[in-house]
Amino acid sequence: MRRSSLFAVGLLAQVLATPAWAQLEQNRPQDKAIGFQPPVTEVAEQIQIFHNFWLMPIITGIVLLVMVLFAIIIFKFNAKANPVAQQFSHHTGLEVAWTLIPVLILVIISFKSFPVLYQQDVIPEADITIKATGLQWYWDYEYTDPAGDPEKTLTYSSIMLDDAAAAAAGKPRLLGVDNPMMVPAGKIVQIDVYAADVLHAFAVPAFGVKIDAVPGKLNQVWFKVDKPGIYYGQCSELCGALHAFMPIEVHVLPEDEFNAWLIRTQAEYAAIDRLDAVQLAVAN
Amino acid sequence: MTAVPLNDTHDDKPGFVARWLYSTNHKDIGTLYLLGGFTAGLIGAILSWIMRLELMSPGMDYFTSGQAFNVVVTAHGLIMVFFFVMPVLIGGFGNWFVPLMIGAPDMAFPRLNNISFWLWAMALILLVLSLFVPGAGGENGFGGGWTAYPPLSSSLGHPGPSMDLAIFSLHLAGVSSILGAINFITTIFNMRTPGMTLHKMPLFAWSMLVTAFLLLLSLPVLAGAITMLLTDRNFGTTFFDPSGGGDPVMFQHLFWFFGHPEVYIMILPAFGIISHVISTFSKKPIFGYLAMAYAMVAIGVVGFVVWAHHMYTVGMPVDLKAYFVAATMVIAVPTGIKIFSWIATMWGGSITFDTPMLWAMGLIFLFTVGGVTGVVLANAGVDTAFHDTYYVVAHFHYTLSLGAVTGIFCGVYYWFEKMTGYKYNEILGRLHFWLTFIGVNIVFFPQHFLGMQGMPRRIVDYNDGYAFWNYVSSMGNFISMAGAAMFAIVLIEAFVRRRPAEANPWGEGANTLEWTVSSPPPFHTFEELPKVK
Amino acid sequence: MSAVEPTPDNKNKKLVLNLSFMVIFMLGLAYASVPLYQLFCQVTGFGGTPKISDVAADEVLEREITVRFGSAVSGDLPWRFRPNQLTQTAHIGESVLVSYQATNTSDQPIAGTATYNVSPAKAAAYFVKLDCFCFTEQVLQPGQSMTMPVLYYIDPAITEDRRLDEIKTITLSYTFFEIKSTQSAALIHAANPTKRP
Repeated sequence: MRRSSLFAVGLLAQVLATPAWAQLEQNRPQDKAIGFQPPVTEVAEQIQIFHNFWLMPIITGIVLLVMVLFAIIIFKFNAKANPVAQQFSHHTGLEVAWTLIPVLILVIISFKSFPVLYQQDVIPEADITIKATGLQWYWDYEYTDPAGDPEKTLTYSSIMLDDAAAAAAGKPRLLGVDNPMMVPAGKIVQIDVYAADVLHAFAVPAFGVKIDAVPGKLNQVWFKVDKPGIYYGQCSELCGALHAFMPIEVHVLPEDEFNAWLIRTQAEYAAIDRLDAVQLAVAN
Repeated sequence: MTAVPLNDTHDDKPGFVARWLYSTNHKDIGTLYLLGGFTAGLIGAILSWIMRLELMSPGMDYFTSGQAFNVVVTAHGLIMVFFFVMPVLIGGFGNWFVPLMIGAPDMAFPRLNNISFWLWAMALILLVLSLFVPGAGGENGFGGGWTAYPPLSSSLGHPGPSMDLAIFSLHLAGVSSILGAINFITTIFNMRTPGMTLHKMPLFAWSMLVTAFLLLLSLPVLAGAITMLLTDRNFGTTFFDPSGGGDPVMFQHLFWFFGHPEVYIMILPAFGIISHVISTFSKKPIFGYLAMAYAMVAIGVVGFVVWAHHMYTVGMPVDLKAYFVAATMVIAVPTGIKIFSWIATMWGGSITFDTPMLWAMGLIFLFTVGGVTGVVLANAGVDTAFHDTYYVVAHFHYTLSLGAVTGIFCGVYYWFEKMTGYKYNEILGRLHFWLTFIGVNIVFFPQHFLGMQGMPRRIVDYNDGYAFWNYVSSMGNFISMAGAAMFAIVLIEAFVRRRPAEANPWGEGANTLEWTVSSPPPFHTFEELPKVK
Repeated sequence: MSAVEPTPDNKNKKLVLNLSFMVIFMLGLAYASVPLYQLFCQVTGFGGTPKISDVAADEVLEREITVRFGSAVSGDLPWRFRPNQLTQTAHIGESVLVSYQATNTSDQPIAGTATYNVSPAKAAAYFVKLDCFCFTEQVLQPGQSMTMPVLYYIDPAITEDRRLDEIKTITLSYTFFEIKSTQSAALIHAANPTKRP
């Protein structure tokens, strides 16, 4: 049984009852789109700038070059237009050129690529750290007490809503969950990613974030989202039967709303006898 | 060997059982591999058709469980890699044409060759069996992906015997390939006809030489990794189990140390084939022969030091990622040399665009598209967005499904008359090409868009925001399936009409040794060794 | 089979022998890579493996570093496992004693073992453990709660590594797993000799 399903019921009621969150803008995958989801973090923006303005023009250019050369070959060097084949098989200048020019292009790409990589990997001093644990097949989120009391740690499970519940809650099918992850806007959020059974991966496309959850190993990612809203991601490492059904829903709240949520939920959590809950889970 | 009588005459074939079961003749074993490989390929294609049907629209339309879908995904991957592309390119064309091209009467170890084939056939049977025994959650089959990452592939994720059978299957396939590799290397090093130095050897033989070395060096690592997985599952070892001090990420390192050379194992023979086709139909010698040969060697060597670019999101130190970014991009250089050398071979030629040439040009174009998205994915920073999404699916299908498989069909049409002794119908052949070319592009190009929007791979159902391009992709699948049906028609038509083949249907451009023997070649070829100037 | 014998047999034999040696070498390399990888991680701190030492640092610096304490429990292990302090700020080179609390919530004695790593991984080479509960297997009786200490310091050499200049916080993380092998029964028996395992 899921560890805090008892608790989840309480939270679900709360999610649905709070009108302020219904006003948050939903950011979901767009049908017929041919590009990225709109970036909402600096990291995602840098990824997209590097991809859209550097990589795409370069690779499109290479493909177009090959296509143009093909067109010339087809029209100029077919057997009718050119009945006698030339017999050359060497051209040192050309061979040197098509070795060195690609090297040059690759050096340029690396030059632009490494800053993007290091920006993601070097985690700045975090304002808040949330623990996300991947399980078959849902996520557990854990918030430590802002005052630093280990006993007041808040843990809850985030489970996908079935189609009917998602429709009722106005959430996208297969992406909406009962208890979303809550984060403050404009703050550096660090996620400690763990796995409790097999591999999973924590990914939110709009944040430019993706990291594997590996059993026995802590992995960390970070993001800072300025714009409040609801963002969706999915488990991105094959994890078994319900791999397609363990989405990640993140609510980015204005800071004061987030703080209010945390205090309120901590209090509600404390009201549940935790040892009972744990024993209930074991009995099941 | 006793089954094969000694003969003075050229074309005295042994009886059916002796010829096909105890076969030691390189051409017969090649034919067996081609028949077996295409049978497996048909199974793999049907599996892909099932997946595209399910993914045609949002919702669970055909599958009732995600596990069953995962089993289909896994089987599709394993079958296409180990039981279609590898056996057809290496076992099929390699066995048929390496001895013919280098002027050898047969492979160096004909009986070993026979063992290789039957080990491979056994492996295929084991893999198919694994689909019908319990895997996980009371369902049959292994659904952990062809990469089989633990703990999903260990007893925690798949307690049933299905995974064990799959491991045994890969063991047998691996042994088969290693024996085959030893056979090819020995044949190429020791049995070239007098005058054929390595630097005069046809590029297909070169590609097989490089491929054989890649097999020899990478497959033992896979064998080791899956054996460790097997003992983890059954005998209490903890190589990849953190509860005993193991590390599941270690498996990924070992797997991709094999897995990355493996993708070159699949594409290099196709490179070899199209080199000949392009030269033949352009009526020109291959441009930059030595650079072409050594570019393959370079691809093979660098292919061994880039493996972790498949694992950028696993939580590696950033400096290590930076190394793998740089190393991976280096591969683009020899690949570029090959692409431009093929174009230069065509340049100034007098080209006839017959079916094999269409496939060869198709391969160059499709591989270019797959190659440049590979450069995109090499950048660890951008890979954060693309890792495990449909962008990756599109990328590796452009290089393998549209690259290696296009190379396979190129070889089939180029050597069709040589192998069967019959002519295929040119119009049907071109129709097959165009249906397939258009179909696969419609299948896989939109998957780039899905990946950019964030659709993860290996999922049975998706949010409605991914509906349109999935629908388009599935439509493309119908077209490429029509292409596959057209291939069946080509075969049937050729074997019904039985138009007798010529020894060399392609004329002056086809100047390798296989065109000097009759079509089909006699049972024993080159009993008198040809001389190469 | 054929009258033509283009190459002498011993030439083939020698080549096959060499090729077989390559196969066996690669197979051996695959097996050797597991202990080698672990050794490599311990020596270099690669992948976030902290160092282990018997002696404290020989100097204490002004600069402070905060260590956060992470914890996780494998899904099939009915233990609660939490740090007793969320963070600890100390001078570089200073030996710090912290602790975790583990509770067995089941009605069975269970043997567990913890894996650990440090994030960011590049800091691991400078994270030195003097003593840790994770060095040995732990047995908890039904309902038993145990304080598990960790004694560590941050190596002053960290100040010489320019890549770590911006680092103010390091996370140390443990994950507890149940020991499943036959070893488990022996451990539980040793911890509680009156009961048969």
